[in-house]
Amino acid sequence: MNKYIKIVLAFLSFGALCATTEASIGGYISASDKKKFLSTLVKSFTIELDDISKSYYAAKGYKILNEVVPKAYITEQCAHIKQHYKATANVEVLFNALNTWSLLGCDGKLHTDDTIASINSLLQNEKSTTADIRYATEILTQLKLQIPNPAKVAQLIQAKLKEDDSLASIGQALHAASLLGNAGKFAHDRIEDVIVQADEIDGKLLQWEGGLTVTSLLITGLLRLPGATPFTQVQADKFANYLLTRKTVQTPKGILSLLEAAVALAGSSVSPVSISIIGSSQVPQDKPELRIQVSDVFGQPLKPVPSPVIAQSATRISDDVVVLAKQPLISGKTSTEFVLTLDKLDPGYYRVAINAGSHSATITARILGLLTINSLEIGLTDADGSSAPKLSKLSYPTKLDSALKADSSQHLLVKFSISRPVHQAFLRLSSGKKEIVFLAVPDSNKGYKVEVNVASQLAYTGNFDMELILGDSIITNPIRWTLGVIDVNLGPSDSPAPRSLRGPKPEIKHLFRPAEKRPPEPVSLFFSGLTAAPLLVLLILWAKLGINFGNFTGVAIPFHLGFGSILGLFTLFWLKLDMFKTCALLIPLGMITFLAGHRLLSSIAARQKKTEKADK
Amino acid sequence: MAQITSVVSRFYNEYKNKTPKKLKVIDAYLLYILLTGIVQFGYCLLVGTFPFNSFLSGFISCVSCFVLGVCLRLQANPENKSQFAGISPERGFADFIFAHIVLHLVVMNFIG
Repeated sequence: MNKYIKIVLAFLSFGALCATTEASIGGYISASDKKKFLSTLVKSFTIELDDISKSYYAAKGYKILNEVVPKAYITEQCAHIKQHYKATANVEVLFNALNTWSLLGCDGKLHTDDTIASINSLLQNEKSTTADIRYATEILTQLKLQIPNPAKVAQLIQAKLKEDDSLASIGQALHAASLLGNAGKFAHDRIEDVIVQADEIDGKLLQWEGGLTVTSLLITGLLRLPGATPFTQVQADKFANYLLTRKTVQTPKGILSLLEAAVALAGSSVSPVSISIIGSSQVPQDKPELRIQVSDVFGQPLKPVPSPVIAQSATRISDDVVVLAKQPLISGKTSTEFVLTLDKLDPGYYRVAINAGSHSATITARILGLLTINSLEIGLTDADGSSAPKLSKLSYPTKLDSALKADSSQHLLVKFSISRPVHQAFLRLSSGKKEIVFLAVPDSNKGYKVEVNVASQLAYTGNFDMELILGDSIITNPIRWTLGVIDVNLGPSDSPAPRSLRGPKPEIKHLFRPAEKRPPEPVSLFFSGLTAAPLLVLLILWAKLGINFGNFTGVAIPFHLGFGSILGLFTLFWLKLDMFKTCALLIPLGMITFLAGHRLLSSIAARQKKTEKADK
Repeated sequence: MAQITSVVSRFYNEYKNKTPKKLKVIDAYLLYILLTGIVQFGYCLLVGTFPFNSFLSGFISCVSCFVLGVCLRLQANPENKSQFAGISPERGFADFIFAHIVLHLVVMNFIG
């Protein structure tokens, strides 16, 4: 039973701890942001025709940033506004112009009785929008005049809100209501409704639909209502985070919206607390001071200053070991700066949980240390391990007196030991534009070894500079140490030409198949004769058989001429003509020969028939 | 042996006396083609086939000429008259010439 109670108590105390610590925001509007804002704001001081409205953004922005407007701008703007001021202008323009006038401290009175009359009529007019009413009340307040019949104005606003209940309209109404004293109390009923409409992004940001302008209008409006505490701390932090994401805004109007909302948040009872690192999150081991700023969203000291500021814990990220607990931070040079001394910590990444009063933040810091080389041995060994390696010792940053002479049967061996393991350990061999990098592998505790097979892994003849490269993200002194020269001799075989990765490839030359060897000329001639010899045999045989030309008559001559010319054509075809020309010539020749042959053969046949008949 | 000699001499005498002169002329032509083909084949065996298309066209030319010659001889033989009733020896000769023209067009194309 006792055990259960303890567990419950533990849970309860844990819950209580959670409830009392609030989150914080991870940034603030820094000096460089302010400088950027000013450079954009100053653009709206340029004079454009009869516009007297936009210079308000710059004047108000300068005021919020506590900057003095240059004299030249002031005289220029005052003259410009004076020249173009018209009592009949839009009420927002009047509001801007009158505000600029007073912000810049121009001499004299800008407004006229006409101005006040037109504004008073606006407040009675049923057609005025909530924006009109807001600017009218703002002007009257600024001129320290009484708002006529606040209760009636409040009714008008409520009537207008029924017509148009958009967020922008509500925002203007909130501003107007905050100036109406007791009559403006109706606006308190709206607070909850408005806050519910805010959109949450990733659980980190809160904003209203419509962007920076609407969000700013509502934040300032809600915080301006007298006696209202519209936001919880968490909500205020999320709105502040949203404003910080919009620091890149480019227009003077946007910057003014951002600044007004930030001022309103910083001045409220739930001012967001920014806990962030000043400067770099990398801390050298010999001066391990992590500077932390605890401020409001503008980088200004908080009122009241949250205390105590302590480092709740610090955890090494690599193995989740807690290395520090409940260490108070020392106040630094300014009232927002606190210093955490991270003594006796090894180099590495640390997660530090900071508590400032009831606010907390988690910061990642990096402690950098020195790397020292304890020993290094370099030398050549036989590839087959037949003889003991001859290694020479080197100490940083000396190098070898003489070049190592390596041939293809040897290995280059480099062994070194360093004070702490590193991410990157390489041996780089370079010769002119050629370079080759070998990875050093850890072989024992803090010991590293590189072994290079000269024949297969290096494969180039030449003088190489050897360089040891050691690097890590948590050391302050990355090392490049030239160890000496190695003279690699791989025998007479030339090193292959360096292959370029870009540029044209070598031309490919087409190789025809070489002609086969012909037999010697006498053999060819002999066989030519031998091939022709049977013709002689034919002629002899025909002669023996008693061949005669008895049937040869005049009719046979065209046929023999035609046939002979066809054979001649074939010879020409063999020697130079192509198939098309040959066929074109063959057709007429063939026709002639056909007709001639037909005549010849029919005359022979007729003669034979005659003789046959005679025989009978 | 004596028998073989007697058979051969008898065969020779019969051929000499009974075969018509026209067929003997064709036979002589066939022998000539045969010898030419043998010489070409011998060259191919002894020296090599290097211009292989030339060898092929020459040898195919011989074989084809021989076949065509045999066809002519069959058609011109008076003993085969019953089989080639509608074809006179003259018609056969005309076919022979035509076939030769086509054959040698191909041979010349192939000889290279």
